[in-house]
Amino acid sequence: MAEFSWDVRSPLDRALAVGRYGARGDAGVTLTEIRNFDLVQVMARRGKAAEMAKAAKARFGSAAPKTPQAVQGSDATLIWSGPDQFFVLSKGGKHAIGALGQAFAQSASLSDQSHARVLISVSGVKARAMLAKLSSIDLHSGVFAVGAAAATSMDHTSVTLWRGNDLADGLAVFNVLVFATFAESLWHTMLDSAAEYGLAIAHSEQLA
Amino acid sequence: MRIVCPFCGERELGEFTYLGDAKPVRPAAGAGADAVYDYVYLRDNIAGVMSENWYHGGGCRAWLKVTRNTLTHEISAIEPAAGAGAAKVGA
Repeated sequence: MAEFSWDVRSPLDRALAVGRYGARGDAGVTLTEIRNFDLVQVMARRGKAAEMAKAAKARFGSAAPKTPQAVQGSDATLIWSGPDQFFVLSKGGKHAIGALGQAFAQSASLSDQSHARVLISVSGVKARAMLAKLSSIDLHSGVFAVGAAAATSMDHTSVTLWRGNDLADGLAVFNVLVFATFAESLWHTMLDSAAEYGLAIAHSEQLA
Repeated sequence: MRIVCPFCGERELGEFTYLGDAKPVRPAAGAGADAVYDYVYLRDNIAGVMSENWYHGGGCRAWLKVTRNTLTHEISAIEPAAGAGAAKVGA
């Protein structure tokens, strides 16, 4: 019988090679894949949106976003993904699907997306220029502030995009959640888009 | 053409999929074959203002009812279709 390996690996395991690529000089773009997160989709049952919001508030200490926003709760980020639905992004199992079932039992349906999405963090002085090639969303600081989110498409692929907290040096961080099976394709498109600015590639276990 | 999604804001056409006329209503269970045939197959080819279903599949995945002039592409009204973002419909 054939031997199977059931090790959990990132969908970008083969495509991602840590290092420095593209134009020489300082890297204008940094692409970091964030690995091993817990991601749960929470969708209100019909007519239960208010109850779901109340349950989220009780669980995370902050209201679930009603508009395209990413809200920081206790040990979790709540990211708007559509009307009456949001993602819970966290680490360490505290807010994994098994832990959330009870809290939303009366109001929402949950779906574990932890291994169904890839999380790519884009930063650097040329991050906006690079993303402008892929996205029609206006990412200007005055329009797309820290905490802004969008359910949108990049390179014909549905993504959830949001702006995380700025880095210590003041540079913006854009987080992209993409379907696992589309991740490699989008990753290569991102590399092509960033090459002219010079890019640094890494992966991390830390949520930004 | 751009469509202002009531949930996401203004987005490019590429994020949306066109379904068609939003007017046909599913006949009652006992309706005759003619009514069902009409509902399933027969469509008006309107040159002017019509009500259409659009799907924001490249974004929030909500169904929208868009009132659009097929001659000018001018959009006069956009609202969530029944069932999409249930809390917002009729609000």
